[in-house]
Amino acid sequence: MTTRRGRALRWMTAAAVATLLGAGTAACSSPAANARPRNARVSAHVPEPQGVQDPAKLPSPPAAGPGAPTCNPYASSRRPTGALPAPGQMPAGSTMARIQARGTLRVGVDQNTYKFGYRDPASGQIVGFDIDIAHTIAKAIFGDPNKIQFVSITAAQRIPDVANHTVDLVADTMTVTCDRLRQVAFSTIYYDAGQNVLVRKDSGLTGLADLGGKKVCAAAGSTSIANIAALASKPVPVAVNDWTDCLVMLQQGQVSAISTDDTILRGLAAQDPNTKLLLTTNFTKEPYGLAMDLHAADLVEFVNGVLAQLRSDGGWAAIYTRWLNSPAPAPPIAQYAN
Amino acid sequence: MVQRLRAIVRSTPGRLTAALIALLLLGIAYGITAFTGSNEANAHVLSVQDSSGPLTVSAQSLYRALSDADATAATAFLSPGAETAASRQRYETDIAAAGTALAQVTAGASDASAISAQRLDVLATELPVYTGLVETARTNNRLGYPVGAAYLREASGLMRATLLPAAQDVYSTQTQRLRSDHNAGARYPYVAVLLGVVALAALVFAQRYLTRRTRRLVNPGLAAATLALLAALIYQNVAWFDLHSHLDSAQADGSSQVQALAAARIDALQARADEALTLVARGSGGAFEQDFQKTMADLVGADGESGRLGRAAATPTDPAVRTAIRAASSDVAAWRKVHTALRADDDGGNYPAAVTAATGSASDAFTHLDDDLAAGIRASDAIFTEQAAAAGRTIHIVGIVVVILTLLTLAGAAIGVQRRIAEYR
Repeated sequence: MTTRRGRALRWMTAAAVATLLGAGTAACSSPAANARPRNARVSAHVPEPQGVQDPAKLPSPPAAGPGAPTCNPYASSRRPTGALPAPGQMPAGSTMARIQARGTLRVGVDQNTYKFGYRDPASGQIVGFDIDIAHTIAKAIFGDPNKIQFVSITAAQRIPDVANHTVDLVADTMTVTCDRLRQVAFSTIYYDAGQNVLVRKDSGLTGLADLGGKKVCAAAGSTSIANIAALASKPVPVAVNDWTDCLVMLQQGQVSAISTDDTILRGLAAQDPNTKLLLTTNFTKEPYGLAMDLHAADLVEFVNGVLAQLRSDGGWAAIYTRWLNSPAPAPPIAQYAN
Repeated sequence: MVQRLRAIVRSTPGRLTAALIALLLLGIAYGITAFTGSNEANAHVLSVQDSSGPLTVSAQSLYRALSDADATAATAFLSPGAETAASRQRYETDIAAAGTALAQVTAGASDASAISAQRLDVLATELPVYTGLVETARTNNRLGYPVGAAYLREASGLMRATLLPAAQDVYSTQTQRLRSDHNAGARYPYVAVLLGVVALAALVFAQRYLTRRTRRLVNPGLAAATLALLAALIYQNVAWFDLHSHLDSAQADGSSQVQALAAARIDALQARADEALTLVARGSGGAFEQDFQKTMADLVGADGESGRLGRAAATPTDPAVRTAIRAASSDVAAWRKVHTALRADDDGGNYPAAVTAATGSASDAFTHLDDDLAAGIRASDAIFTEQAAAAGRTIHIVGIVVVILTLLTLAGAAIGVQRRIAEYR
C-alpha cells in the first residue's frame, strides 16, 4: 500500500485540494479600493446672466446719409380732438371702446427698471414712474386705475408686441426715434431723458474717451446699445435682456460700464452705492413717449389728451416727486405734428 | 522514458493511475471555475446591493434636490415680502441633500469613467456658485432692489444650463453601472457547468471501465464522487435560478420602478418651476408655460392616463407602489385643474389671484403629488433592497458549497481508484 506510486498519488491529491482551497482564499480577498486622487485643474467660472451677447449683435443701424428718415421726435404725435370722453363711456367703435369691452388695459412694461417700472419685492406689485402714467390712462378709460394687465417685456420685444397687439400700450422708458416712428405711433413726450454712463466709483474713468476698448453694457434692442457702438472711442457693446442684468455684470466685474438713459442709471446706482454717473451732462437726448399701434390714431389722441390733463393738473409733478425724490421741474411741453 | 511510460499506461494499474489523474484534474478545473465564477457573481451582487444600487439612489436624490432648490427659489421669489421660514427651510434642506448626495456619489465613483469624473467636478465647483447667487438675490430682494430678480434669473440659468445636465449625466452613468452589475451578477455559469458535465461523464465512464475489469458492480468511492458532483451541479443550477429571479425582481419591481417614478418626480418639479417662472416673468413667460404643458404631456400623456406615470402604473406588483401611483395620477389631475384656472386668471388680467393660486392651491396639489411619488419610490426601493439582499444571501454560500462538494468528489475518486490500484500490488 505504501508504495512509491501510492505516495505520489496521495501527494498529488493533497496538492490538488490545496490548490483548490488556495484559489478560493485568493478569490475571497478583495482588492484595495483605488483611491488615487484625480488631477485637479481648478478654474473658477464666473456665471453670466442668461442671454448675454458679448460682443453685442447690434440692431440694424438706422439708415444714415441722404434718404435717412428725418423728423422731430418732440413734435411727432397727433393733437387730441375735442374733450376727453367720460371714463367708462368710450365712443362706440373706437380702440378705447374695444379695450373697455375687454375689461383691462394691456400695458407692456419692464419690471427691472428701478424707479420707472419694477417689481417691488415687498408687495409683489409692479410700480414706478411709467407704471403710474399707465394707471392714469386706465383710470381715464375705466374710471378704475387698476384695470390693467401688466405684461413684462424686454426692450427688444417692445415694437413687435405693439405691432401684433399683444399689448395696447408700452410704458417702458421708450425713446421716440425717427426709425421707431415708422413702426409704431408715440404719444407726446412725457419725460425728457438723456444717455449717460454708470461706472464703479474706483474705476478711474473720467470721460467717454476712456471707454475705448472697454466692455459697456446695455439692453439688447435699446437705442442705448446703438449709441454706445457709435461712440468715437469705440467701446465694446455687450447686450443683455434686462437693465438689472447689466448691474449684475458690473458687480461681477464682467463689464466696465453701463450706458443708457440717466433715468435708468440713477435707478441702478440707487441699488449699489459703489457706482456713480460718469458725466455731468448727458451725451444724447432721449425723449420718452408711450408707444401704440401705428393705426390706432384715436387711441394716440386719447392718450395725448390724458397726458395734457396730467401736465396741467399737477399729476405729472406728483408722480415725478414720488419716484425721483426731488422737486419736479416743469413737465416736457406737448408739441404736435398736426 | 517514452517506452517506460508506454509500458506503464499499457498495464492496468498504469491505466488506472492515468484515469485517476484525469478525473482529479477535471474535478479541480470544475471546482476552481465554479468557485471563482460564483465569487465574481457574488462581487457583482454585493455591488448591486451596497454600491451601484445605493449610488443610483444617491445620484437620483442629487438631481431631485437640485431641481427642487430651483423650483423653491423661484416660488419664494413669487410671493411678496420676505420669503417664509418654511420655504427657506425647504431650500436649505435641498442644498444640504444635494451636498450629501454629491459626496456619496463622488466617494463611490472611484472606478467611474473620466466623463463622470468631469461631471462631478462641474457639480462640485458650480454648486457653491449657485448658492452664492441665490444668497445675493435674497439680500437684494430684502433691500427691495430689483437687481435681486436678475441674480435669481442668473442662478436659475446656471442650474438649468449647467448643474442639472451634469447631475443627469451622473445619474445615467450610475444607472448603467447598476445595469451592468445586474447583468454580470445574473450571468449563467456556462464554463463551470460544462466542465462539471464533462467530469461527470468521465466519472461514469471510469465506473463502467472498472465494472468490466473487476466484475464488481459498484465502486463506493467513485459512486460517492459521482453523487457529490451531481449534487454540486444541481445545486449550482438551482442557486442560479434563485439568484436570477431575485435579481430580476430587484430590477423589475425595484430599481426600474424607482427610476420611472424618479423621472416622474423630476417632471413634476420641472413643471412646478415652470408654473412659478411663468408668473415671475409676468407676461413674457410663454416659453415657461409651453414647457409646463410639454412636461405635463410627458408625465401623464395627452389623455392624462398614459405618459411616464401611466407606464409606471402598468408594471408594479406591489400593492403599496400601486396605491402610490394611483394617488399620484389623481394628484396630477387636480393640479392641472388648478393650473388651468390659474392661467385663466393670469391671462384674464387677474395677476394677484393667479399668484395666490400658485402659492396656495397649486402648491398644495404639487406637494401631494411629490409626496405620493416619494412614497412610491420608497416602497419600490424597499423591494429593491429586499430582493438584492435575498440574491446576496443565495450567491454568498454557493462558492463554499461547491468547494465542499468538489472536495468530496475528489476524495471519493482518489479513494475509489486507489483501492483498485492497490489490488495490483
